[in-house]
Amino acid sequence: MAKFLGLDKLGLLIKTIQHYGGIRASLYKLYRMDEVKIGKLVGTDKYGNKYFENPRFFYSRNRWVEYAPKYGMDYDGSQVPAEWYGWLHYKTDLLPMNDPSRPKYKWMADHTENRSGFPEQYTPYSTTTPKIEAWKPTKQ
Amino acid sequence: MQSLKLFNLARNGSHFVRPFSVSAGAMQKATASGPSATPGYVYVNDKEPSMDMNAITDRAAQTLFWTELVRGFGVTLAHIFKEPATINYPFEKGPLSPRFRGEHALRRYPSGEERCIACKLCEAICPAQAITIEAEERADGSRRTTRYDIDMTKCIYCGFCQEACPVDAIVEGPNFEFSTETHEELLYNKEKLLNNGDKWESEIASNIHADHLYR
Repeated sequence: MAKFLGLDKLGLLIKTIQHYGGIRASLYKLYRMDEVKIGKLVGTDKYGNKYFENPRFFYSRNRWVEYAPKYGMDYDGSQVPAEWYGWLHYKTDLLPMNDPSRPKYKWMADHTENRSGFPEQYTPYSTTTPKIEAWKPTKQ
Repeated sequence: MQSLKLFNLARNGSHFVRPFSVSAGAMQKATASGPSATPGYVYVNDKEPSMDMNAITDRAAQTLFWTELVRGFGVTLAHIFKEPATINYPFEKGPLSPRFRGEHALRRYPSGEERCIACKLCEAICPAQAITIEAEERADGSRRTTRYDIDMTKCIYCGFCQEACPVDAIVEGPNFEFSTETHEELLYNKEKLLNNGDKWESEIASNIHADHLYR
């Protein structure tokens, strides 16, 4: 009967608010992530992003990332590191720490987000010396 | 039980709240008097509207009282409470194939030595001619590129370069989030491509492993 009248949704709302620790925290989460969902925390990467899973939602909504609090509202899709990329994009069900096909070489670089539009953005330059030299006329 | 009674009431009583064409009484009349009364067949074309007094009054009432508007608002209201069918992008992402062809990267051997040997097969096969390679002998005598430029705005992401590569050096990585604000940022040089390889090696190696039975 409660399900018929939709009262279980109300219960879920109360549970969600409790899960996030109060109305204020839930409202901030809603403001930052546009929705509030309960999920199982499956892991945290070294940049502080948290990864959640809840199979109650349909495929491609059942895994999500919560960007680290240090990013504030400047979160971006490119902040997901390569290790978690495959899991978040449903290429594999293995979590990166359980995946034997992921190598760990010492020359592997840290992840950087797409910095286009910032001072540290990539600017192209030539990696060789120019083959043609301009003619500089000598003074007579 | 309550809902059943309501349904019966609507069926026997006025068609005021339900659109005339779908109400049960009309359906029965149409199937009985339609062109094809053969059992097992359903007449799917537009039916002639009934012209008896009751039906005309119902249609006039629907027009006068704008019941379509009310029913339309009902649909809108119902959808507010439904679970969205879209994904919330920067947090949830769509499924992707291990063969996905995204941003290019130059890979290294596990020792850290770069793989590319400047054979220029990728440059030759590139249908958009987006790749420029210059090669020289390195100090230790090995053949390496001094210039490996890809114009990402010319590239059509066909994946021929990674298929042509004999040492799996140039690959199209999984990343698609490399949009830039200016054109020049997409003119990648060797440094940038090697950096991409170092950044994405975990995922590139995982993709190659996932696809190794088909290669």
